[in-house]
Amino acid sequence: MTDVVYCSRYRSMLLATLICGASLTSVLFGQSVGLPAPRLLTTIPMGAKVGTQVEVTISGEHIEDADELTFSDRRITAARKLNAAGQPEPNKYVVTIAADCPVGIHEARVMTRLGISSSRAFCVGTLDEAVQTKANTTLATAMELKVNSICNATMTQRAVDHYVFEGRKGQRIIVDCATRGIDSKLDAVVIIADAAGRDLLVERRGGVLDFSVPADGKYVIKVHELTFKGGQPHYYRLAVSELPVGAPIVRLPSTKPVNSFSWPPQGLKGQAELAESEPNNDRTKAQKISLPCDIAGSFFPAADVDVFEFEAKKGDVWWVEVASERFGLPTDPSILVQHVARTGDTEKATDVAEFSDIPSPVKVSSNGYAYDGPPYNAGSADILGKLEIKEDGLHRLQITDLFGGTRNDPKNIYRLVIRKAAPDFAVVAWALHMELRNGDRNAVSKPLALRGGATMALEVVTIRRDGFDGDIDLAMEGLPEGVTASGLKIPAGQSRGLILVTANQNAPRAVGSATFFGRATINGEVMTRPCRLASHAWPIPDSWGEIPSPRLMADVPVSVSGREFSPLTLTPPKEVQTVTAGEKLTIPLLHTRRSEFSGGTLQLKTMGAGFDRTPQFDVSLTADQSQAVLDTAALKTAPGDYLIAFYGGAVAKYRHQPEAIVAAEETHKKAVQELMAIEAEVKKLTEAAKAAATEAKPEADKAVEAASAKQKVATATVAAAAEKVKQATAAAQPRDIVDIVVSEPIKIRVNAPAGK
Amino acid sequence: MSCSEKEFRRRFLRRCLLRLLIGVFFLAVGLLRTDAAEQPVSFVNDVVPLLTKSGCNVGVCHAKAGGGQKGFQLSLLGFEPQEDFESLTKEGRNRRLFFGSPDQSLLLLKASGQMPHGGGVRLAANSEGYALLRQWIREGATFDSGVAPKLVSFEVQPARGTIQRLAEQKLKAIAKYSDGSVRDVSGMALYESNDKAMADVSERGLVKISDIVGNVAVMVRYQAKVAVYSASVPLGAPVENLPSSKNFVDEHVFANLKALGIPPSVICDDATFLRRVTLDIGGRLPTEEESAAFLASKDEGKRDKVIDELLRSPDYADFFANKWTALLKNRRDDESDTVSNFAFHAWVRDSFLANKPYDQFVRELLAATGTVIGNPPVAWYKRVKEPKQQIEDVAQLFLGVRMQCAQCHHHPFERWSQDDYYSLAAFFSQVGRKPSGTRGEDLIFHKRGIATAANMKTGVPLKPGALGDAIPEIAADEDPRLKLADWMGSKNNPFFAKSLVNRYWKHFFVRGLIEPEDDIRDTNPPTNPALLEALEKHFVASGFDLKELVRVITQSRAYQLSEVPNQHNIVDRQNYSRYYPRRLQAEVLLDAIDRLAGTQTDFANLPPGTRAVALPDNSYNRSSQFLRVFGRPEAESVCECERVQSSSLAQSLHLLNAPELKAKLAAATGRAERLAKEDKPAEAKVRELYLAAFSREPRPQELKTAIDYLNEPGTAANANYQDLIWALINTKEFLFNH
Repeated sequence: MTDVVYCSRYRSMLLATLICGASLTSVLFGQSVGLPAPRLLTTIPMGAKVGTQVEVTISGEHIEDADELTFSDRRITAARKLNAAGQPEPNKYVVTIAADCPVGIHEARVMTRLGISSSRAFCVGTLDEAVQTKANTTLATAMELKVNSICNATMTQRAVDHYVFEGRKGQRIIVDCATRGIDSKLDAVVIIADAAGRDLLVERRGGVLDFSVPADGKYVIKVHELTFKGGQPHYYRLAVSELPVGAPIVRLPSTKPVNSFSWPPQGLKGQAELAESEPNNDRTKAQKISLPCDIAGSFFPAADVDVFEFEAKKGDVWWVEVASERFGLPTDPSILVQHVARTGDTEKATDVAEFSDIPSPVKVSSNGYAYDGPPYNAGSADILGKLEIKEDGLHRLQITDLFGGTRNDPKNIYRLVIRKAAPDFAVVAWALHMELRNGDRNAVSKPLALRGGATMALEVVTIRRDGFDGDIDLAMEGLPEGVTASGLKIPAGQSRGLILVTANQNAPRAVGSATFFGRATINGEVMTRPCRLASHAWPIPDSWGEIPSPRLMADVPVSVSGREFSPLTLTPPKEVQTVTAGEKLTIPLLHTRRSEFSGGTLQLKTMGAGFDRTPQFDVSLTADQSQAVLDTAALKTAPGDYLIAFYGGAVAKYRHQPEAIVAAEETHKKAVQELMAIEAEVKKLTEAAKAAATEAKPEADKAVEAASAKQKVATATVAAAAEKVKQATAAAQPRDIVDIVVSEPIKIRVNAPAGK
Repeated sequence: MSCSEKEFRRRFLRRCLLRLLIGVFFLAVGLLRTDAAEQPVSFVNDVVPLLTKSGCNVGVCHAKAGGGQKGFQLSLLGFEPQEDFESLTKEGRNRRLFFGSPDQSLLLLKASGQMPHGGGVRLAANSEGYALLRQWIREGATFDSGVAPKLVSFEVQPARGTIQRLAEQKLKAIAKYSDGSVRDVSGMALYESNDKAMADVSERGLVKISDIVGNVAVMVRYQAKVAVYSASVPLGAPVENLPSSKNFVDEHVFANLKALGIPPSVICDDATFLRRVTLDIGGRLPTEEESAAFLASKDEGKRDKVIDELLRSPDYADFFANKWTALLKNRRDDESDTVSNFAFHAWVRDSFLANKPYDQFVRELLAATGTVIGNPPVAWYKRVKEPKQQIEDVAQLFLGVRMQCAQCHHHPFERWSQDDYYSLAAFFSQVGRKPSGTRGEDLIFHKRGIATAANMKTGVPLKPGALGDAIPEIAADEDPRLKLADWMGSKNNPFFAKSLVNRYWKHFFVRGLIEPEDDIRDTNPPTNPALLEALEKHFVASGFDLKELVRVITQSRAYQLSEVPNQHNIVDRQNYSRYYPRRLQAEVLLDAIDRLAGTQTDFANLPPGTRAVALPDNSYNRSSQFLRVFGRPEAESVCECERVQSSSLAQSLHLLNAPELKAKLAAATGRAERLAKEDKPAEAKVRELYLAAFSREPRPQELKTAIDYLNEPGTAANANYQDLIWALINTKEFLFNH
């Protein structure tokens, strides 16, 4: 009877907490965008010295159950950190960087219940490493930093971090701060001040401080965010090093901007054959060159104009390419080519061509509230264009930086290549996004972490080089078991394609590093080019409040959860669907639903060349099957083989890890039982102590005391277990989450009508 | 007397006679027609000046630029006679002139008040002007442009002179015409004093000098010409025992004082100097430690040293960045402006910290390209988007020239035409914009092409021209803004350096050598031209070194004169014979109160302890009633006048009993609380307070009063200290830089 009473009491307590939790949940959860995806957001520290071992603490979204911490370079390994009891400590790893690991930036990710997480930059360097361990927001609490070391730190909001180093007169000290280039949200302001904290030298544009120490003594480095933001996403690595006077500065490594995927052209030498030679600022001092050429130059000093002259023949066609912005520099190169006709001392210059930007292959988001294009600019302020010579004779080429009128920075370099046509292409991809809710850009930072039965689409764009205009096929290799990739090619003359990565429902939990490439036949030769993957460093729930920060990834990891499944799978027939051009094709779709949905219908669009202008159509979210009708007459689809898919946005009643409730309840039940047993024991011992003879009393009291202590621990365990149940129950409450549903790919053959 | 003068006199006498006849013998008007027809009234030289003198063609009345009341539109101040003629004779359904009965002309009926007229009676029916207009109508209202002699020059007599206080001077306005004729147009000219407190001038050109001494100018306008009468009003007191000159500033200031007979005040004491110069350069009060050390120092060069120390300090950069960012419109209208505003403010501040030459600073701003994060002066192009707005701001801020009027018509007080305006705008015609990743922000670049801007009126495309100076041909590849910057930074530029030194002079001396500081024109002469020229030369020779300019000004004895007047110079308001006290500006005053009260004002999202002078933009005004009440600008204008320095009842009440002030006084971590708890003699505490507030030791009587108050029984010690600090804050000695 007693047991029943106890049980009843605990159950009602639990019920009360569950009710509270449930009501809280319904208030907190509105419709959100994107099914939970694991995201690794920070590692502390953000890097380590080559050949050392370091303890790393991670944080992120949906990585509570993370196990493996992996890196894009196999020479960095990690093991869970174990506590004294030999149990893994949550979110802590011991990372080992082999002595032969390349210095630079590597990708760090964790494997979770939902699959592989998004990446976080992890730096490997040669300097001694330090970690900010306590607040250093005043001069008095400044952290001591040795010269030739690097400190990993997180910016405190509304504060200025202070460091102090010892300088010797005449020493050249370089202070560099890695932030955006290692995925941080920090726009750093770095100041060198005297010992009293008075500013001496300031850098606010992500540059490096080159400081000549005026006198022996202590110097202060102050770091803060431009607008004094702070918190976890605002981390940094602050390096203080000594460099001989005159030696070139090597910046801390940085991730690559998205548009750098198109540089360099295949086969280009590491070093240019020629260097620009100043003064070459006007026509009287033009530098003589001959074509083809490969020149390294600099937009320096301010308003620099570099002028080159070459002879060319009418009808010659050259391709001009300049890289500068794609090096990650804040430049905007511009070229003017003129034909020069000289008569005596007079000359007549006639414009032949002007070159400026490489346009984005697809419309880039205007960064408005509504989604109107990918927030990735695969184009560039650099140059890639065709130069057709119209007259024999002397030609003059002048290159300037449209952003360089007032800027004096020799680091703003360029590389100018003028070559005969070498048709080629470069490809880059990112997760497909569509308008789901205003302002949200969830998908653009998603990892390739597939749920069973899910298909994820990647948008692929190309920069075509030197007149290449043919088809580009897209493919992935090295995928985990049960995962397939289907490339919806980039058609001839176009710039955009798609690739669908599908995990079948029974695909086992796994992760693999895939090879992603584009393939084309150019001048009869099959050319394969790697496709780089781009992602935003952070999830962007509100595009108005956040400036996007996209970058290229070093690798293409693909994973399958094995534990969670897609809310809806749209499965077309596996076999090729055939249709005669001019007729309609009906495609049956099998719906595998694993969730409830808000709303009764799903509006589908069609992706894939030849059919992407199919009008939107609705399918039922409650039916088990539907069909799509494609009208090749209206679409004017030419005979040929096609690969397409359907996609749309659906609001699932998502339940997060409902199995966790059962496990938590089981744990809680056990804890309650243990507690009840201990309470009974205490009661028994108490009564025994009361009845004990005088000589046995101390011993009996001791036993009561020990049992009471156990009871306290057990009570706490019950409370913690109840909290776990509460959390698991809250998390598993159905939440409206809108996400992109992509059907499995559909192969179509359009036959020519009979007699044609 | 020349023939032409005789002719004018003859015509003048005839018109007087005509007026008499019209006034007395109304019916006899018709008799004049034959005579008048022989000497027709000139539309260009008679009618238009009359309309101007009568105020018909000013902005609020019938000037087209102001909209033109009731659809009757005249060119502003008669600069476009052809348009005026069309308006009078052809528009308004031909009702404006009635040839059959000139007196029934709407023009005359309205002007004389015989019909309701919003502008009141401008020409009485018996006036000479009325008669003139009626005669012109009677003669057929002809347009004589191209026929009538052209006005070729204009002068005022006398052009300059020395005049005693309370004396009068009649000015004579003389117009010279292309046919050699000369005419006294004193009655038709317009007069305006540049300092009405010093000199008032009547409609007929009679100048009445007040009892204020110094230099004053009267601008005299006639048609499109201007002339200036410059008067020196001496005090005539003996000027003896002038301080020794520290530099050329003193030589020119003291020479002027000698010429005017104004004896300067004595040199101020060390405490006053330290407080004054720290407020003026660093925008803050000296610390108690700084004051004590300075007062104790026997070093003869300590004043120069403290100036150098202040110029080295980040306080200088913060304070001057605060001044410039408001003028450069670093304004937050939307949350998305935050990053660009911080970046821009920081760029300005760092430029001053590094003592970037002023011409380079302006160059980087004008010709900014790229992104805001990569190149923060680009943010200026986010605020100031249109070429017209750009040239108006640039002209006013960096050249001291107000070009706004010339957008629509010839500048009324200046030589600037619409062609000058659009030639200047052409420098900004090749500013290209590309969308950036940041909402509301563009990438700025130079767009290749020949720079031109079309004159709004004529439609003629104009190449870049710099206020009358020829600019060499600018190639399509060259950014014209760089050429503008080249012109501005050239050694002989007549505006650039002058404008800056005048602006900085005003910063330190309260009053500019030219007032307003951004209205430099021939008709608004400086009060000490030699000094302005010397400052300008020194600034250019120094390589546009702003710190050197501040140094040479603040090291001068003139800057270090006491604010206490002697028996003579109380009347001086413009010759710098004494220091003119000025109320601390909003940010400085708030910081000063915080320092004295031992508190910090909390500004949203900024580190605790951020000073008000270091705020990046205007957005903090919204949350700070103090800053609003004391006139912190909203960065909407390039005019320093946006900062309100005048006093108001709200300010007094705020200082007396605003909850914000009370909270500071009563702060648990504040100075009052600390002093109340501190175990040291009351005298030491009072000394600390006086050093903190005034940078000086208390006088014996002040010390006694304070200690007596602190020792009064019945009140908690912390309340007594709060009261004492409150009292110090509410003194003029605290509220003013003196």
